[in-house]
Amino acid sequence: MIKLIQTTALASAMILSAGAALAEYPEKPIEVIVGYSAGGGTDVMARTTMPFIEKYLGNGASIVVKNMPGASGQIGVTKAATSAPDGYTLGTFNLPGMMARTIDRKADYSADSFTYLANVVNDPNVIVTSKSTGLDTLEKLLAKAKEEPGAVTVGMSSLGGDDHFALIKLQNQTKTEFTIVPFKGSAPARTAVMGGHVMMGIFNVSEVAKFEGELNILGVAQAERSEFAPDVPTFKEQGIDLINGSMRGVIAPKGLPKDVEEKLINAFKQAAKDPEFIKAMNATANPVEMVTGDDFKALTSELYDLAKGVWETTPWK
Amino acid sequence: MSKSHSPRLLRPETLTALGTIVVAAAFLFPTASLKPISALLPGAMLIGMALLSVLLLISDQRKAGSGEEAQSMTSAPKRVFGAFLLIVSYALSTDFIGFYVSTAVAIPLVAYVFGYRSLPGLALATVIVVGAIYLIFDFGMAQTFPSGRLWQS
Amino acid sequence: MYADLLDALPHVLGIYNFVALVIGVIAGIVVGAMPGLSATMAISVLVPFTFGLEPLVALGLMAGIYNGAMYGGAIPAVLLRIPGTPAAVATTFDGYPMAQKGEGGFALQVAVVSSAIGGIASAFALMLLAPPLSKVTLLFGPSEVFWVAVFGLASIIFLLGGNPIKGLISACFGVFVSVVGADPISGADRYTFDQLELLDGVSIVILLVGLYALPPVIDLLEVPLKTDQVTDNKLGTEPIWRTLPRMFRFWKTWIRSSLFGIWIGILPGAGGSMAAFMSYNEARRASQTPDTWGNGEPEGVAASETANNADTASALIPALTLGIPGTAVAAVMLGGLLIHGLQPGPMLFRESPTIVFGFMWQFLFGAILLILLGGSLATNSFAKLLNLPRPLLGSVIIVLMLIGVYSINGRMFDVYLMLGFGAIGYVMDKLKFPLPPVVLGLILGSYAEENLRLALRIGRGDWTILFANTTSLVLVALTVAVIFGPSVKRRFFAKRDDEETAKK
Repeated sequence: MIKLIQTTALASAMILSAGAALAEYPEKPIEVIVGYSAGGGTDVMARTTMPFIEKYLGNGASIVVKNMPGASGQIGVTKAATSAPDGYTLGTFNLPGMMARTIDRKADYSADSFTYLANVVNDPNVIVTSKSTGLDTLEKLLAKAKEEPGAVTVGMSSLGGDDHFALIKLQNQTKTEFTIVPFKGSAPARTAVMGGHVMMGIFNVSEVAKFEGELNILGVAQAERSEFAPDVPTFKEQGIDLINGSMRGVIAPKGLPKDVEEKLINAFKQAAKDPEFIKAMNATANPVEMVTGDDFKALTSELYDLAKGVWETTPWK
Repeated sequence: MSKSHSPRLLRPETLTALGTIVVAAAFLFPTASLKPISALLPGAMLIGMALLSVLLLISDQRKAGSGEEAQSMTSAPKRVFGAFLLIVSYALSTDFIGFYVSTAVAIPLVAYVFGYRSLPGLALATVIVVGAIYLIFDFGMAQTFPSGRLWQS
Repeated sequence: MYADLLDALPHVLGIYNFVALVIGVIAGIVVGAMPGLSATMAISVLVPFTFGLEPLVALGLMAGIYNGAMYGGAIPAVLLRIPGTPAAVATTFDGYPMAQKGEGGFALQVAVVSSAIGGIASAFALMLLAPPLSKVTLLFGPSEVFWVAVFGLASIIFLLGGNPIKGLISACFGVFVSVVGADPISGADRYTFDQLELLDGVSIVILLVGLYALPPVIDLLEVPLKTDQVTDNKLGTEPIWRTLPRMFRFWKTWIRSSLFGIWIGILPGAGGSMAAFMSYNEARRASQTPDTWGNGEPEGVAASETANNADTASALIPALTLGIPGTAVAAVMLGGLLIHGLQPGPMLFRESPTIVFGFMWQFLFGAILLILLGGSLATNSFAKLLNLPRPLLGSVIIVLMLIGVYSINGRMFDVYLMLGFGAIGYVMDKLKFPLPPVVLGLILGSYAEENLRLALRIGRGDWTILFANTTSLVLVALTVAVIFGPSVKRRFFAKRDDEETAKK
């Protein structure tokens, strides 16, 4: 009975939404589901970005951020994936996490459940060492790791996240072996590196930019140097092809009407050119790298393959 | 429960001990499928609970053997059960019908059923509580409560 | 740095910022005093709302709520034996017996004065010693934190109550509940039965509301009488300046509990409840008359309330300097800082001194305001509120429980979970299983496990890493002293008594 009511309601909602799409989108408030609690990195990204999207959507658009925290964002993204594709429910999307979760546990969504709007933030990984270790260059660090495999302990925020994949890439490229110490979140891991309890750490550049004086930052995993730490060389400069990071973007459920999709993507593209937006994002530790539409989709499947590959060779649980 | 002749196995403590043993044992099944390092602490706690419950069971049965009266759970089991049932149905109706409707019904209903019969008092309390919640949470901080799964797509 | 501190003062005293603080303290007392609502929930509801506010207004609200709620939790703890916040559990031990003896008013006055003292001490620690104290936090790596958790767990043996078997079952239950969710190291699901809502584990607020609020509510409904009136003469309300001199004898407890609270606050993850439990135990051990404890000893209320307020500001020391919150509430507040672009770290103090130091002043003023606002106004009006007819009070608390639990994550799942714990809690309560070991087990169980496993990973499987440095060894010694101290002392005294009788 309930099922029947729900299906009918859903069907009528879809008919209505098709009609709505023909009219001027948006006609009512748009909800963005954030899978983390208010004040987290993803939440701040959404709250900072959305006023600019409102501005470029025009038409008196209003966007409301709704937090549905839990299970590392999985509850929120599942909700977004299964909402009506009318353009009035969007969701935040984290890479590689959201794809890795489809591999390491049962998930009610897959890479095909979404209309990809825009990846907004790319926060590259950095490798840091504790001041007390004296390993203040990448060369010294790798030498130490080669000399005694497993002797270097690496603090990171969790297994199966971007930090973990960065380390796997590093190990594969340099034929080294490290001991992983997965903390609960990056702040405790960073504290453990500062206190010298672990020797090395893998984080994102925004997480260590404010701690430059207390840590040795050895390299940043991006094609070019990061604005957040312009003195830190990239790994490329040091002869290692290591590019990896944590990404945060915005998706909609799959099957979004084409014109709505275009309108939203355009708004993101325009925002990316707005210096005010870049400034606001940098102030909240969100390095902007806008990737929209199909490119975002390609990026997602690339990261899915990476996670899948790592899982098949070294499953983390 | 009759005073002197409550059967030995139906003493509340004995029942609780038995229940704990059964539940702890049941949870050991999912424990077995975990990696040893993950299973260590929960496994130890479950086994600990089961063993301690056995001790509790023995001591309670000894008391029963020596004719000691079991402590009774409640003087009014019907009221306790009814109260719990009402609370659960309030939660369910919040989930399915919606928060405000359910709350506006639940406050006077529970208070009335359990002996507060002043109608103006009930009405006043309901209006104050529901109104305050709406003003502070919904109006003041844009915090939404369940609007009822039945009405949603 | 101290010049920055003074520069920030005028900003805090600005009219909007100050009004925000006052509103925050009042709101905090109310939230703390309502069974079912907690500071964690209030601040998490508030955080998104503060996005549009001036930073100091937003932070003033939060600082006020935090301070207010830590005291507010004592009000129902004393009057109804329902701790309003997790940290007020230890306040019920002596506060409720006091209320039954007709000293409820005095208990609340002790609570408010002690809360303010703890809060002031903590605010000074934050203002004057934040950078050096954050160095203390750095000393505590996984193996040291593991020993802190063991030290806390050891204090469970004093909470077992009359029947140690039941006490231990309670503790095992608490620890078991703590492991539900994703395994802290590998992320493997433990007892989640494919429910995403369980992956992050069981929130302390859910367990607390279920175990501590539901059984008394059912009691309220079970006995169809009018309230045994919380009248003025039962409360024994006297003006606070007249009762104040009777409190001065607690000065040692105030100092000891403040230090405990500050210390627990700067350690990540443990939080106010642990501070209150531990300082209660220590105060009882130091007491000349340990037998009166648990039967309405005002010093017990002082110990618990001083400590749970003393960790408020100090919990922000690691939060501001290192980004690791010392308590659950501080974690939510950290979100409130991030929303305003205030990123924790050593740079924070240089980049936004006005806001950071202003925030610290707000903690100090919040603690002072507690006496003014909590002492007379709030306490008396709440005591009257609890005077409502029992069935009505019960039904209102049921509604508060639902919104308090629902609002943490905005989902009904948590409400059902809370009702499940409520059913368990009712049986435990009636069969006299002690509840505090469950709370402590939940807080410290997985916390100890996580840190032990991290330490072993760091040591690559070598157990000696647990004893590898002085900090760990000191903590081990303390734990041993806590566990075996009392029995050694007893044996020693017993021997002397024997000798004395022999002489006679």
